[in-house]
Parts: sequence; C-alpha cells; structure tokens
Amino acid sequence: MLMGSVHHEPAGEPTFEAMIQIDMEIKTFVSAWKHCDYVSTYMARMISQNRSDSVRHSNLFSSAFNELLEVAFRTRHTDGELACRVSRHGATDRIELTFPCVPEERQFYQEAVSQVAGFEARERYLNSVSGDLAPSREVVLLELAVDYNATLRVEEAEGDAVKLVVDLPLEGLQH
Amino acid sequence: MSPYNLLPRFKAQYDANNQEFSISGVVRPQAIDELGPSLALLRDAIGRVRGVLYVNVRRLTQMNNAAFHAFSRIIIDACRARPDLRFVVITSSVVGWTSRKFGRLSGIEPNITVEEYDSEFYPGQGFLEEGGFVPILRTQTKMTWRHERTILPRHGMRPGIVMADICCGLGDFVVLVQKEFQPSRIVALDHSISSLDYARRVMREFDIRGIEYTYGDASEMLLDEAQFDLVTCRHSLQIFNRPELILKELYRICKPGGRVYITNEKNSHCLGEPRAESIRWTYNEVAKLFAHFEMDVELGPKSRRYLIEAGFEDIRVETFMVTNLDGDPQDFADVIVAWADVYAGDMATRRGDGPEFIARFRQGFQDHIFAALHPKGYAGWPIWVASGRRPQ
Ligand SMILES: C[S@@+](CC[C@H](N)C(=O)[O-])C[C@H]1O[C@@H](n2cnc3c(N)ncnc32)[C@H](O)[C@@H]1O
Repeated sequence: MLMGSVHHEPAGEPTFEAMIQIDMEIKTFVSAWKHCDYVSTYMARMISQNRSDSVRHSNLFSSAFNELLEVAFRTRHTDGELACRVSRHGATDRIELTFPCVPEERQFYQEAVSQVAGFEARERYLNSVSGDLAPSREVVLLELAVDYNATLRVEEAEGDAVKLVVDLPLEGLQH
Repeated sequence: MSPYNLLPRFKAQYDANNQEFSISGVVRPQAIDELGPSLALLRDAIGRVRGVLYVNVRRLTQMNNAAFHAFSRIIIDACRARPDLRFVVITSSVVGWTSRKFGRLSGIEPNITVEEYDSEFYPGQGFLEEGGFVPILRTQTKMTWRHERTILPRHGMRPGIVMADICCGLGDFVVLVQKEFQPSRIVALDHSISSLDYARRVMREFDIRGIEYTYGDASEMLLDEAQFDLVTCRHSLQIFNRPELILKELYRICKPGGRVYITNEKNSHCLGEPRAESIRWTYNEVAKLFAHFEMDVELGPKSRRYLIEAGFEDIRVETFMVTNLDGDPQDFADVIVAWADVYAGDMATRRGDGPEFIARFRQGFQDHIFAALHPKGYAGWPIWVASGRRPQ
C-alpha cells in the first residue's frame, strides 16, 4: 500500500475470500476419530502457505480447528453432510463449519456462543480447567475465544444442521 | 502430505535426575484412557519429587482440550494436596498456543509458574545473533555463492525440489537459490526474529515468492518428518555445542532418498601471503577462542564423521576456497574487518584476554587484509561442503 493512502472498506461486513472447502458425509467423518486430526492438519497446511510464518500459522490454526472438528464429531445426528470452509480477510481466517445436529443441539450452540461473548468468559474457562468434568463442547468454544481471540457466531443452516462461524485473528497472535 | 501415522504420536518421559516430566508430539486422544500410562507416569513423578517438578512441553506440538484438562487436573490437584510442591511448566516460544494455554494454569494455582524457554540455545549465541554479524553474513554469502552455485547440483539441488534451509540467517542464500534453481517450495528457518524480519522485508520489496520464512529452533523443529528433498544448513552446525542434535533434526525432516547439505569452516586454515606466519597464528587463536565458547569452527573436515554417525549414506565431501581473487578484493577485506571487530573485540574481551594478546590477535587480521588488498597478494578462506543421503 502506498504511504498515506486510505484503505476503503465497504460498509458493513468485509469480504472474506474463499480459500478452501472440504465436504464429506458426516457418517464417514464420525467413523474414525483420527479424521479430526487429519482434516485440521491438512487444511491448516493448505491455507497457511502464504502467511508470514506458514509453519507456525499452520500449527496454531490446526490447534484451533481441531477443537471445532472434535465438537462436530460429537453430534448426535449422523445423517447429512459436514462442510468445512475457510476464507480470509486480511489477518483473519474464517472457519465455517456446517454439520447435522438435532434441534436441541442447535439451541445449545446458540446459547453457548452467546455466553462466549460474555465478560466472564475467561473466568468460566479457568473454572472449567480446575473442575472435575472433562471439557464440554461449551468449554471448548470458550477456550477458542480465550486463547485464540476467536469470535464466534451461529448461523442458520438448511435442514437439521448448524453452522458455526469462527473468526481467528491468528496472524496477529504470533509474537 | 505424509500418510496418517497410526502409531502413538506422542511420548511422555520422566527424568528423575532433573525432576522433569516431559511430553512431546501430538496428543489428541478421543478418550482419556488412551493417556493412561502417561497420566500414571505424571502421578508417579509427583509422588517422587521434592521441591519442584519441571513439566517440559517444549516439544509438544499439539494437545487437545481433553488431554490438556486431564494433565492439568493432576497438577492442580497435586498443588492442593501438597503445598510444599512447585510446578514449573516450560513452554517453547515457537509453539504459540502452549504459552497461552499453559499460562492459564498460573492464574489458577500460584504454585504453578510457566516459563517460555527461549534464549541460551548454545553458549555463543549472543555474539552471533545480536552482534555486528548481520552485514558480514551478507557479504559472506555473496562470496560463497560464486562457488556453491556450481557445487550444489552435485549434492541434490535441482529445479522443482522441495527444500529447507535451516539457520537461514538473513535469507540471502535462499533468495539466490530461488533465482538460480527454482525449487517448487522453500522453507527457511531461523531463531533470530530480527534476521527473519529483514528476510521478509527483502522478499516483499523484491516481490519474491515461494519462500516461507519461519521462526523456529533448529534443535526441535515444528516441521513434519520426511518432507524435503534437500535440507541445507550452512555455517551453522559449527556454532552449536552439540551439532549431532541438529543433524538428527535435519535427518528427520529430510525425505528418505533426499539429501542433507552442510557447509562448515576450519578457521585455522585461513591463509594469506605475504605475512603468512602472523595470519596463521591469529586463525589458530580464532579456533581456540570459539572453542572457549563451546563452538567448533574447526568442524569442516569432521563433517564426514558427523554425517556417517547420523545415519546418512552416499556421503560426498568437497572443499572450496573463497579468495581475494574471486571478485572485488575489498569484499574479502570487509569480511575480515568484521571478523576482527567481533573476535578481537567482544569475544576476546568476554574471555578476559589482555591488551597484549589482543594487539597480536588483531595484527593477524590486519595482515590478512593486507594480503587480500596487496597487488601480488593472495588471501583465502576455506569451506568444507558435505552432504549425505537419508537411506530409503
Ligand atoms: C553463522 S549464522 C549462519 C547463517 C546463514 N546460514 C549464512 O550462511 O549466512 C548462524 C545462524 O543460526 C541461527 N541460529 C542460532 N541458533 C539457532 C537455533 N537454535 N535455531 C535456529 N537457528 C539458530 C542464527 O540466528 C544465525 O542466523
């Protein structure tokens, strides 16, 4: 960019450019736990090559994305498609993860995500670390906000499905 | 992409001597039972230690929340049951998420502290990373490149390969490689943030593509196994006190059938005419000075042994001599000026050398410069090149 020039943003939502998308039958996905690791590692590598530190970006991205995939893995509805899409706007990478779920789960995600935005997110996360229970799906989402500065929201998806939209500003997180 | 590995991809160990529990690799279990033996090892370690337990996660590349919670709970419970016990978690500055994630633990229990392991990789690091070395490295690369561009193809360099340059410094070498040989992908790693900033700036200014610079520690890299056709590591094995550890990492990231290429010096063999005696004396002293700081600038001819012992085959060794006749003799002289500044300056002072020694030490460099610029003079700096193939 030239010195002194001004970058004009269109009003409202900035445009995210699509980077990569992977779709698969949810049945196939949940047939093996290793798919979470496999998909997160593969996609992280693909989208990180033109980041300023591709190797470390890939490590961070995989770390965050794997948690989301593990969330999707626990879905109670095993019919339909899992779609993972990554797009980019500047320093932010956006993950859109659409997967089948039962209506109560969708409600659950909506509540969980609205709590993530709350002030006490960090405290709730710390309580969960010292608590007895293995991390719930809600805690996993909280952790993304606390440790990766992620912002999360739930969007409408067709049929019995939910779409989690997670923005990760990893490029700014590294040093 | 490498095929998915079904073997456990992490390792937990306890070192009783250092009271250190370490866990490394990728820890992404579906159920906590998969961690049973490692969790038992941690509990057992806690039962044995007095005072402090070090928890080393420097080589931990991935850990999911389920596993993190399982390990953390054991540590937190131990803090509560045994207030006499302290935990020091050691993370790496390279793996971004570990410091953040483990850092939270100190907010839960004051007896847990988290330290980012960073500096002091090898004894002489300070001189080379912060000192006046930056401009020398640039001129050095320009001088060695004249030779290496014809040597490299004999060691596996060719268009289209995937390569890594470890301890890449300012990146001049990979930029030259990119222009001359067009590899399909270059990863260049160093542990100096300022050098990497410089390298990235050059890349932006000259619109160079296809080089990925990354911050990392050569002794424990985030790079995956077996992914490069050629791994280069230039003038750097000689600055580590345990070069075999670095070589092990170079081996690991090299593809079977690919090659690892290293260059090193033997400083005592720098030479010049006239004033050969004084020059020889000084460079003998250079070798001793580096040895004092646990760096072996005499490593060049030992490359063959190091490569054999690291498990390489088809080892090729050759030498070349950078001289004042290669290009502008002033370039050669500039490099010597810079060496003299650091060696007879900061380093000699740090060793505690007296003024008399330093004066004689400097004289040899001046004589080397004299030889380089003399109309009938000759000045040389010999380099050992060696490469080995990782067995199939
Ligand atoms: C003597 S310089 C050689 C640089 C370059 N290869 C060249 O020929 O110009 C050594 C380099 O190793 C880097 N280095 C030192 N310790 C390191 C470590 N633990 N991991 C990666 N790089 C390291 C330094 O930052 C420095 O750039």
